[in-house]
Amino acid sequence: MKPIMLQGHERSITQIKFNREGDLLFSASKDPKPNVWYSINGERLGSYDGHSGTVWCIDVKWDSSLFISGSADQTMRIWDVETGTSNTTLEMKTSVRGVSFSYSGTMIAYTTDKMMGHNSELNIIDVREPNNVDSTPIMKTQVTPTYTKALSVLWGPLDEYVVTGHEDGSIIKWDMRTGKEIQVGQEHSKQIKDMQLSHDGMMLITASKDTTARLWDISNLEAMKMYKTDRPVNSAAISPLVDTYPHVVMGGGQEAMDVTTTSSRIGKFDARFFHLVFEEEFARVKGHFGPINSICFHPNGRGYASGGEDGYVRVHVFDDAYYQFKFDF
Amino acid sequence: MRVQGGHTPPPLSQAAAANMAKKNKAKLLDNEDDGGQEEEEPDFSDPEDFVDDITDEELLGDLLRQKPKETDGVESVIIVDGVPSVGAERLDKLKNVVRKIFKEYGTLINEFYPTNEEGKTKGYIFLEFKDRAAAEEAVRQRNNYKLDKQHTFLCNLFTDFEKYDNIPEEFVAPVPEPYKDLGNMSYYLLDENCFDQFSIIFDGGTTTAIYLNAVPEAIEIAKRERWTETYVRWSPRGTYLATFHGKGIALWGGEEFRQVQKFSHSGVQFIDFSPCEKYIVSFSPHVDQRSEEPQSIIIWDTRSGQKKRAFNAERPPIWPVFKWSSDDRYFARIWEECVSVYETPSFGLLDKKSIKVAGIKDFSWSPTDNILAYWIAEDKDVPAKVSLLSIPSREEVRTKNLFNVADCKMHWQKCGDYLCVKVARYAKAKREKTEVKYSGIYYNFEIFHMREKGIPVDSLEIKGEHTGLCMGTGKQQVRNHQRGSLWSWLGLRSMNGALEFIDTKDFQVMMSTEHFMATDIEWDPTGRYVASCVSWWGHKVDNAYWLWSFQGKILKRQTVDKFCQLLWRPRPPSLLSTQDIKDIKKNMKKYAANFEVQDKMRYSKASREIIEKRQKQMQTFTEYRKKIIEQFERDKEQRLRLRNGQDTDTLTSNENDYEEETVEFLVKKETVLVED
Repeated sequence: MKPIMLQGHERSITQIKFNREGDLLFSASKDPKPNVWYSINGERLGSYDGHSGTVWCIDVKWDSSLFISGSADQTMRIWDVETGTSNTTLEMKTSVRGVSFSYSGTMIAYTTDKMMGHNSELNIIDVREPNNVDSTPIMKTQVTPTYTKALSVLWGPLDEYVVTGHEDGSIIKWDMRTGKEIQVGQEHSKQIKDMQLSHDGMMLITASKDTTARLWDISNLEAMKMYKTDRPVNSAAISPLVDTYPHVVMGGGQEAMDVTTTSSRIGKFDARFFHLVFEEEFARVKGHFGPINSICFHPNGRGYASGGEDGYVRVHVFDDAYYQFKFDF
Repeated sequence: MRVQGGHTPPPLSQAAAANMAKKNKAKLLDNEDDGGQEEEEPDFSDPEDFVDDITDEELLGDLLRQKPKETDGVESVIIVDGVPSVGAERLDKLKNVVRKIFKEYGTLINEFYPTNEEGKTKGYIFLEFKDRAAAEEAVRQRNNYKLDKQHTFLCNLFTDFEKYDNIPEEFVAPVPEPYKDLGNMSYYLLDENCFDQFSIIFDGGTTTAIYLNAVPEAIEIAKRERWTETYVRWSPRGTYLATFHGKGIALWGGEEFRQVQKFSHSGVQFIDFSPCEKYIVSFSPHVDQRSEEPQSIIIWDTRSGQKKRAFNAERPPIWPVFKWSSDDRYFARIWEECVSVYETPSFGLLDKKSIKVAGIKDFSWSPTDNILAYWIAEDKDVPAKVSLLSIPSREEVRTKNLFNVADCKMHWQKCGDYLCVKVARYAKAKREKTEVKYSGIYYNFEIFHMREKGIPVDSLEIKGEHTGLCMGTGKQQVRNHQRGSLWSWLGLRSMNGALEFIDTKDFQVMMSTEHFMATDIEWDPTGRYVASCVSWWGHKVDNAYWLWSFQGKILKRQTVDKFCQLLWRPRPPSLLSTQDIKDIKKNMKKYAANFEVQDKMRYSKASREIIEKRQKQMQTFTEYRKKIIEQFERDKEQRLRLRNGQDTDTLTSNENDYEEETVEFLVKKETVLVED
């Protein structure tokens, strides 16, 4: 089916996210205004105005009441989803690279960049009172210089630990209370660009610049599968229908600075579908004319959305062929 | 315990006692000789029973090496034999003649003409040069110098006499080198399925591997890290794989790809095999200035590893420098307006002189006979000429004059029956300083019928487009398959790797396809497959080789990290007679059916293996998921607690709480013109 094009950003998309029900799609870009859209028809509901720099990362609370965004303007903002007003603005020393609501939605974990002599940090704050947030973290850990900087973060299934993705390709599991490292997963050889959970929160998929994506068991950080492409992978997602349609989708492509020829074909900006178990590619979807920076399945597993370096978000609904295709085994 | 008395001197050790004695003695000496030495000179001489077990060599080997030898100072002396025996009256004249002959190699410091009792010279003389190098050069150049009919100079270095003097009386038979069993060097031809081998270099050049192009998956035969430092080459019949190293070339072969030979040639860059693989020509731009011998180009015997002859290269070199005749008997190159033909195995110049051809542009050997074809460019009023030369007789078997020639390209038919010369001719030539510009180029084909009496020549004029196609313009790479009926065309980078398969029987394009950014294309030796490659040497991303069937059907896309080069292992010419080939062609259907069945079995076996593998993977995964889901169920209570009792496990689990929202869709767009 023809995808819905969401045109509302002036610069390249950095992250997109559905809310839990999948009726809303949030998008952030290098321009300072994250947007929210109806996923069903692509109508823009509104934008969250307030930042003054690239918005690197966003997340939405499970009940779609709160929306958070971390920006290169060295602030993290907590918004009211419905009204678009900023409840709280937290000032940082460096830009915010990863944000994540805990399962309960009462805590936010965020990571900051390593810049201007400041170390990369992993912090957790309490947001039970969204209008009166105490900006002092309840847990604070210095990531650098012991490890390389953390660029993405997400929570384990029961609010007990957080996992960070790092510049050198490692992923680290931290105890949420002590801030101590529990486990390190060292499989990727280059920067982790994105991490996403399966719908039940038990599996984790990482996308890396080393041209692969990997599937992990989050409880023991055991690397289970590897999906190999020939381009840096910027984002990867697991289908919510994993037990009937065990698929993963990956987006990426040659970075603009590395594409030396005039032809855009060399970049390979397709969304690629892999069989989760057999690690084999079975479909590609063309469309973007720049690398895909963020990709995610619709929570009902019947479509997906991708946001690209070209500034567009494309919302796809699967055709029947998608459900009919089966691997022989 | 014994109590010592106060005045008893303490017991002295023996050494101390000896010391005391010495002192006393010294005092005595002092007394005897006033102003003498205070201390006695220690005794350095060896005890009488001392045996020296350290040789001088061990102690001062470095000094001994510099010890003057008898030959020092005489190494610049040469002995010339075969000098006329003359009396004293004509000696001065002889001396003048000899001086003249030898002066170009350096100053003669000394000369000695031994005489017999009658005052006549003995027929040999001694000459001393300024240095050793001059002496050596004189020997090299003037040995076997013909002074006149009766007298031929035989020159030797004086130091050589010592060498030959020391030849042992008894003959010791040389020990035969043990025969190195290299195994079956042609084993690859015995593959029961006739799969071909190919070599690939990847990892940016650090790894080289040999694969068997089996169906359905290529099988790895050998893989080595740092097998070569630059690239590899197969010998023309496929027996050897040559690898390049800083110090020279190594040849590998046999079933396990063991090293069979190596040739030491520092900085070697190119090699060329003779058609029968008997010899290898190697080229290196590195030249050691100290050595007098040519080193740029060396010809080696492939099997023994012997250096056969070395040559100097012109700069910049055009590779290959030498062109070989089909049977390895002759090789030739153009050198200063000459064709120098050398013969094997003596490696001497044929008839000791080159064939002088003024204005020669290019030449080529017939692929079957020892006939050399060359062409000469136009020079003012002299027309251009194509000549056929029979070797070794040097007989000109055919010449053909051509006018208004801009360029010639010579192409031999594979069986040597025909020679086709493509002549580019011009309508107008304009001279601009040193360059000549041609305009109105058109093409002629001059076809020489080699097997007919007198070698008749057909001229064929073709105008316009057709020749453009034959030539291939721009950055195109054309490979035609050996057996000659299929061509594949590859438009290189500027055309993004467009690939065309053309049947030359009727010049029909069988398939137009592409391999994006492809840099190379290679036919396999049987003409069944084509490989198109994106080499890391040419392009930094998407390095891969793709295999195509000869009809242009894609068979496999193989992405290899930093893939550099793919080369098919060649096969020697077929031993089948024309009749055999005809028979095979006739019964093709019968054979083909057989092979198809085999292929089908292989494919079904492979797909069965894949399915088994998948089943196993799926089973493991299903078990894993079962465990995970159980865990997920166990955690349910905790999850409910974290989300205030709301069940959010599935999208429909709290459907009752959903709020209804109206969303508008744009169903149709209509434009209605409203009239005023």
